[in-house]
Amino acid sequence: MHKLILIFLLTFLTGTLITGESQKNTVKEIKVVKIDKDGLKKIIRNRNEKILFLNLWATWCVPCREEIPDIIKLAEEYRDVDFVGLSVDLQEDINSKVIPFLKANNVFYRNYINGFDNDEELINFLDENWSGALPATLIYDSNGKKAVFLEGKKTYKKFKEEIERARLRK
Amino acid sequence: MLILFLPSVYLTSGHKVENFKLKDYNGKEFQLSDFKESRAIVIMFIATQCPISNAYNSRMVELYNDYKEKGVSFIGINSNKQESVEEIKEHAKQHGFEFVILKDERNVIADKFKASVTPEIFVLNSDFEILYHGRIDDSRKEEDVKTHDLRMALDEILAGKKVSNSQTKAFGCTIKRVD
Repeated sequence: MHKLILIFLLTFLTGTLITGESQKNTVKEIKVVKIDKDGLKKIIRNRNEKILFLNLWATWCVPCREEIPDIIKLAEEYRDVDFVGLSVDLQEDINSKVIPFLKANNVFYRNYINGFDNDEELINFLDENWSGALPATLIYDSNGKKAVFLEGKKTYKKFKEEIERARLRK
Repeated sequence: MLILFLPSVYLTSGHKVENFKLKDYNGKEFQLSDFKESRAIVIMFIATQCPISNAYNSRMVELYNDYKEKGVSFIGINSNKQESVEEIKEHAKQHGFEFVILKDERNVIADKFKASVTPEIFVLNSDFEILYHGRIDDSRKEEDVKTHDLRMALDEILAGKKVSNSQTKAFGCTIKRVD
């Protein structure tokens, strides 16, 4: 009987420890995969009644890094909005720069890395009037229609206003 | 405020720019009209701290060396508010920049050109008309370059042809303007 209790306890404890560890890893685990034109089209199109907040950034872009804490705050506040980051860092910098930055700043919304054929293809796909200056943010309404294109660093207040405006679009 | 203008008003090919005066990192004054005899004037908005601009340092040196004898002038302009004249001088020395580098205090010239990032290129003819505006080439990684857009534009200009791709785009660091 004692043996059985011991086995049960051991199994239970081991199970708890493993589960606990894997849960911890799930939270800490950040995956950044590349996205191409078709992938990004799908994200924009498959809205599932949700607004899309798409932020283009890079680890080398100082104003991008400065506005990200405000975006995190908004992502916590608007759980019904789909927040997506798209880094234009080089793909070989995913593990050395992009993921460490996302971890250090607790960026919990999903992030991709530019996998378009070249920078100009991505720029023109998102907005033909965009010069390529970073950061840039696009908000799409729940039908996948572009509500606003914002070039340059923006404030928490400005982002909030634009999210609210996009929510009113049907 | 980092961006003070709307994308729809970017200066594109065909626009004419006015003459301007700026000092280089030694305090010597230059004006655009000093380069009027050139077959083409390459204006390069550059930076000392931007990793994208810095990825192009050796390519800028190569371009200068390849085209200086062909009558092409190169002018670097630094409009970033946080990058000092001393820093620009040191950076130029370190990377072997032999072309003129002007300090655009208060980003007056960047505003006139409506330049937004570094590196960003404008190629002018002797009447100061913009013949090419955009990137140096299509990849920040030199080994991945497929189209040498600036070289192609310069070769066409030197051959007396119209620039076939006069407007290109690329990511760069936003020019840090005064508030």
